[in-house]
Amino acid sequence: MSICSQYFPEEPKAPVVATQEHPSVKSKVGIASLGKVFDSRGVYFVADYQKSNGNYIADVDGNVYLDVYAQIASIPLGYNNPVLHEVAQSDKMIRAIIDRPALGNFPGKDAEEIISEILKVAPKGQDKVWSALSGADANELAFKATFFWYQAQKRGYNTEFSSEEVSSVMHNQAPGSPELAILSFERAFHGRLFASGSTTCSKPIHKLDMPAFKWPKAQFPSYKYPLDANVEANKKEDARCLAIVEELFKTWSVPIAGVLVEPIQSEGGDNHASAEFFQGLRDITLKHGALLIMDEVQTGVGATGKMWGHEHFNLSPPPDLVTFSKKFQSAGYFFHDPEIVPNFAYRQFNTWCGDPARMILAGAIGQEIVKHDLSSQAARVGAYLFKKLEAVQSKYPEYMRDLRGKDRATFIAWSLKDAAARNKFLVDMKSVGVNIGGCADDSVRLRPTLVFEEKHADILVAAIEKVLSGY
Amino acid sequence: MYRAVKSNPLKRIATQSKRFVCSKYFPEEPIVPTILSSHIPGPVSTKLNNELGEVYSNSATYFVADYFCSIGNYISDADGNKLLDVYCQISSIPLGYNNPELIKAAQSEEMISAIVNRPALACFPSTNYKQILEDGILAAAPAGLDKVWTGLSGSDANEMAYKAAFMYAHSKKRGENGFTAEELKSVMENKTPGASDMVILSFNKAFHGRLFGSLSTTRSKEIHKLDIPAFPWPKTPFPQLKYPLNEYEAENKAEEDRCLQELESTIKNSSKKIAALIVEPVQAEGGDNHATPYFFQGVRDLTKKHDIIFIVDEVQTGVGASGKFWAHEHWNLTSPPDIVTFSKKFQAAGFYFGNPDLQPKQPYRQFNTWCGDPSKAILAKAIYQEIVKSDLVNHTAQVGDYLYAQLKALLGKFPDKVSNLRGENYGTFIAWDCATLEIRNQVLLSCRAKGVNIGGCGDASIRLRPTLLFEKRHADILLSVLEDVHKAL
Repeated sequence: MSICSQYFPEEPKAPVVATQEHPSVKSKVGIASLGKVFDSRGVYFVADYQKSNGNYIADVDGNVYLDVYAQIASIPLGYNNPVLHEVAQSDKMIRAIIDRPALGNFPGKDAEEIISEILKVAPKGQDKVWSALSGADANELAFKATFFWYQAQKRGYNTEFSSEEVSSVMHNQAPGSPELAILSFERAFHGRLFASGSTTCSKPIHKLDMPAFKWPKAQFPSYKYPLDANVEANKKEDARCLAIVEELFKTWSVPIAGVLVEPIQSEGGDNHASAEFFQGLRDITLKHGALLIMDEVQTGVGATGKMWGHEHFNLSPPPDLVTFSKKFQSAGYFFHDPEIVPNFAYRQFNTWCGDPARMILAGAIGQEIVKHDLSSQAARVGAYLFKKLEAVQSKYPEYMRDLRGKDRATFIAWSLKDAAARNKFLVDMKSVGVNIGGCADDSVRLRPTLVFEEKHADILVAAIEKVLSGY
Repeated sequence: MYRAVKSNPLKRIATQSKRFVCSKYFPEEPIVPTILSSHIPGPVSTKLNNELGEVYSNSATYFVADYFCSIGNYISDADGNKLLDVYCQISSIPLGYNNPELIKAAQSEEMISAIVNRPALACFPSTNYKQILEDGILAAAPAGLDKVWTGLSGSDANEMAYKAAFMYAHSKKRGENGFTAEELKSVMENKTPGASDMVILSFNKAFHGRLFGSLSTTRSKEIHKLDIPAFPWPKTPFPQLKYPLNEYEAENKAEEDRCLQELESTIKNSSKKIAALIVEPVQAEGGDNHATPYFFQGVRDLTKKHDIIFIVDEVQTGVGASGKFWAHEHWNLTSPPDIVTFSKKFQAAGFYFGNPDLQPKQPYRQFNTWCGDPSKAILAKAIYQEIVKSDLVNHTAQVGDYLYAQLKALLGKFPDKVSNLRGENYGTFIAWDCATLEIRNQVLLSCRAKGVNIGGCGDASIRLRPTLLFEKRHADILLSVLEDVHKAL
């Protein structure tokens, strides 16, 4: 019996399309009512999580969609997964919910055990973790770690602060508040708080009217597809983009302490780059004494066919920091160099320093992925799906451009001719019972759960064909 | 006031159970602290903390706690010590450890679903999210603020409030016009005019969090800020009042007038538009610095006059500890703050607002994957309902009055060691200064050795942050330990 059937004996066999409109009547009422107290303008539909099961999400109007968006890529093991249900009802979880500790001051007796479960699935080469609450939070804490480390390299790890640093910092001025930068890439998405927002470069609407640090952007490779027909051109593109990074290190007005990059730029359009490109970044950061931060918020936790997306690149040495959130339910960063822990207490610190309730869940998710080898399953299903999509692409090339994500399991995307065509496609897919998401202006991304199987892929592909055949 | 009306149906039960409210929740709460190890942290705690240090930064650990054995106002550590806790996870435990009503909430179907099916709230909210908000977070909303945006921590709440303020100020400036081509282009380079050059104004000694925007408004201690790039945002002095307040009324009014004048001149001299001003009702991390309602009304008036969004940071002061549900209710402002942020004791975080224009015109601007956490909103609901049912805000006000009076008498005996007792008529939100940092640290350690877990703030201050179920009998234990400790200094 497949893993999905084991978890979800009652999973629907097919989507249920109960209404003509999406969102329909009850969802619309719910959206309007919620909107009086909470911004609901981005709501797709009001979901009924009690009735959602496995890969299927139910809405209040009786529609049951095959979900390949999965809460913006953040549901790992399907809705109402029975193992997670058990964990949620465990004594350990209940205590974690009601006795939430200030982890940095008063860790519980079971803190080490909870953290060790998370570390069991840490990326190769990483053996420590610092916990956070969201992807943006994880990235910003990683920036802080990077800046502490960078200054400690200059100052000496155990050297005291200078009096000038101590006095200037209270005025938000250098040298205490140094002018240092994190380098990120065009089309990157790393979050929406102020520093993470300064590294995000996906769309203007994500950034407008917020103050930003004057941090540099390099260019991320734009490949030609299919990859095997464009090897030389894409190789040149790698070299061009790496040269820009190198140039920015030499010319940017303030020192660059870290390079931040996603293994696949997800919000920015599912833009891929080669292992050679990422090794190039690794080499440049080493050469210039900067840290390499891999943002695995969306790519991590199995969906690319490896537990962590950057494990496809076999980087040597491994990245300095790897951030996570979303499908892991808990957030934070992995690292290995003990000097990434700042020299004094209360520097990388806040009230909660993470959330054991979410960390317990992450541990359980990691265990299930390992136990059932769900990364390999995602790779198998992804290969099956990709092949089928290639066939669709050959029939409808105009509606499936630059199909990408080969050998990246179910982390698949393609483009349409423009935003209008893409948006129409996303809406039309709901009318055939599939909840699917976009990225960038013109792309469609697949972000199903790790219990998405061939039978779901068949339903998805049939639904896509049904929609495209009407175009 | 408006909340008393809302809570009226529950008032009768509250009166009946008020006297023994803590025993009602915790019949098995220890009567006194238990100290089993010769030191705190004891050997088991130390061993576990060393193991933890292999994988997780442990340099700030006080001791390793045993939450399974903690109960009510008592925190248990790994060595079996049971300490009366008046620090409460840096002021964030509302109703004691292992509160049975919160256990019920944690076991509920809606909680289990919220834990295992965490939604992207702003895209796929659950059918019950509105109701969860209305029965909890929104039922507790400060007067005049009827909308909420949820986040994950105090820093997150404050930063989202700043975003709301920046978007509001720019939108107002822009009027009916859309974004210009230049804005759309420059923002992708992190440059003006698309990126804002507006600023947030905060006060000396303020603490508003440790992410990059919030940290730029934090001015508590150097160690919180060093080596982190910061925005060049302005600060202005917060009143430094003299105690006891009734002996220094004139001086204190002059000090507050001075700070208000400085504030106005900071505003007038700022080369950048100030989008928002943020202030804590009591500067907690910065040393429990209080100011009077007169000062805060002055701040409200100046922010109105200069079209500045007025943000009150209630992360530490909110949810009952001050003897009001929200500390800023002590001020009786002529018009409510524009934004009030919360976290800590509410377990859920976010910001309240009233003006619909504080929600950006376009969707997906105040947005992120999770937009909060329904499991925390469910907990906040349970916390709010218990606070109302057991009338815990008034309870805390009464216990606080008792504690303050007793502390005044006790600490008065050691004038060369302690001074500036503050927090009169302010629930259990009480603090005082020690003569030196060394004395402060000695008092904290000695209290712990005698079974009271207590926290510091500012340079040499001690702050009390007990639960809302802290009673006179707990106060008496605290007072007795403090007396012993000070006698031995």
